[in-house]
Amino acid sequence: MLIYLLKRLLMTILVIAVTSVIAFLLVHLSGDPAAAMAGEGASPADIASVRETFGFDRPIVFQYLEWVGRILSGELGRSYYLRMDVSDILADHLPVTATLGVMALSFALLLSIPLGVAAALRPNTVIDRVALWLAVAGQALPSFLFALGLMYLFGVYLRVLPISGGTTWAHFIMPSVALGYYATPAIMRLTRSGMMDVLQSDHVRTARAYGLSSWRVVIRHGLRHAIVPVVSLAAVQLGFMLGGSIIIESIFSLKGIGYLAWESIQRADIEVIQAILLVIATAYAVLTLLADLLNAALDPRIRIS
Amino acid sequence: MTNIEQTTAPSVALSPGRMTLHRALRHVSFWVGGTIVLAIILAAILAPAITSHDPAIQDLAQRYIPPVWTEKGSWDHVLGTDNLGRDYFARLLYGARISLLIGFMTVLISGAIGTALGVCAGYFGGWADMIINFVITIRLTLPVVLVALVVVALVGSSLTLLVMVIGLLLWDRFAIVVRSATQQLAHREYITSAAAIGSSTWRILFKEILPNITGPLIVVASIELAHAVLLEASLSFLGLGVQPPQVSWGLMVAEAKSQLLFRPWMIAVPGAALVLLIFAINLVGDAIRDVTTPEGKA
Repeated sequence: MLIYLLKRLLMTILVIAVTSVIAFLLVHLSGDPAAAMAGEGASPADIASVRETFGFDRPIVFQYLEWVGRILSGELGRSYYLRMDVSDILADHLPVTATLGVMALSFALLLSIPLGVAAALRPNTVIDRVALWLAVAGQALPSFLFALGLMYLFGVYLRVLPISGGTTWAHFIMPSVALGYYATPAIMRLTRSGMMDVLQSDHVRTARAYGLSSWRVVIRHGLRHAIVPVVSLAAVQLGFMLGGSIIIESIFSLKGIGYLAWESIQRADIEVIQAILLVIATAYAVLTLLADLLNAALDPRIRIS
Repeated sequence: MTNIEQTTAPSVALSPGRMTLHRALRHVSFWVGGTIVLAIILAAILAPAITSHDPAIQDLAQRYIPPVWTEKGSWDHVLGTDNLGRDYFARLLYGARISLLIGFMTVLISGAIGTALGVCAGYFGGWADMIINFVITIRLTLPVVLVALVVVALVGSSLTLLVMVIGLLLWDRFAIVVRSATQQLAHREYITSAAAIGSSTWRILFKEILPNITGPLIVVASIELAHAVLLEASLSFLGLGVQPPQVSWGLMVAEAKSQLLFRPWMIAVPGAALVLLIFAINLVGDAIRDVTTPEGKA
């Protein structure tokens, strides 16, 4: 287990390191950062002075190493636009995205696990069909349309939920549903197939033969085993959500990391963009690592091979 | 299902390819999905013949004309006009062009990249597999929407750039699926015998392996086609995809966003078109998966 853990840890660090290079190059090579920061209609002299002030005239390798050096010492940089430290800006916006992510994931799990279990208990019935169609419909519906649809139904037509901002818990309901819905098909399918496997296994048959109530069998002897891969999938899905929250946050004006990214992209605030790319990629890498370790801890076959 | 077809068909041995085609043609979702996709492609190509309106011509005297099913609607503008007096039906037809163009072009790029990586990883194994797996992991770690937005915003949006960026981002599923499909083939007898009679590696990859993984390849292509259409719509919705005067369905939704309260059909119309296209592509993909996997052959 220790060797497996060290291997995966090393791999994750390597992934984050390479991702940091890509994040840096994306921002620096996708055009002239100095020109973008100086804004439209800036004179060549203005651009040159921006370039010098922010050190864009130095070799790119040098700039990258300096950036990494600063990050390792806990400095994420400074926003030229907001004139604040990037770490402070991120600290302001992270709680919103974290709340959104956790609520969206909770919604996804609360919807998909019962549906998946029900579909596994009654395969090829109405429940199974409904579950399947929910997944198919979800694949075809763009998240921004789903969000606007929710907004129209609950915000404009029924007037029961606020449509913009993030000051109360109620503000998070629609964004969480809109974001979490897209994680449900995968989680539901995995729950369904896992449950179907477990329910056919010997220990479930034995439990049934002992005369345990069917609920007890399903929950304690079935779901407890089927849930393991679901938990690690949920971790990966949470990582996806952090990356995908930009659309939902901009629609509902939730001032989270995604909203910040969208604003920063529009004002070419490259220090912030770089930092966000790195933070989201790191979060994803760490979540997948946790998912893998969890799987390995519970299934010895993984860590031996 | 005992019909004449089944009693006569086995007398002539059909090639596996023909048999797959026969099964596909009997599959309901293949027909439904295929018809819708084809109809949308035709509508996009024949747009100038279907409507006489130009999707970009503004007429400020004709702003916000409601669609034909409302009281004030007229057949001249079937779906009404938008905030600049442009014909909404014409915009819908021409918008299909961009969505489909970007979808198909990006799948060509991402399919080529993903297939090349997947075949190499699956066939050579060892170090090649490790490195390619690492590249796939890196790609999965990068958030797609965010990376696409950053590049498009900093470079300046254009159709070519959109195709390049989306194509370079969506190859991961191709690589993963092709890799495992190739792994299953790599030690089959016909592959090892091809190697034994001295076929070059290129020949084995292109003539022996590639033709035998077309099934999963087409399925992934359909998923990624839908994915690319969706991503283009999302980028355009955020204002960093297709730029005016070009039209795309995502852009139409974005422009109509402020009308959610007053004219919700302006969002519903391009939105429904988008959902219908993606749904139809998925139907075709599911049908192809059904008929190409061994379980579907029964």
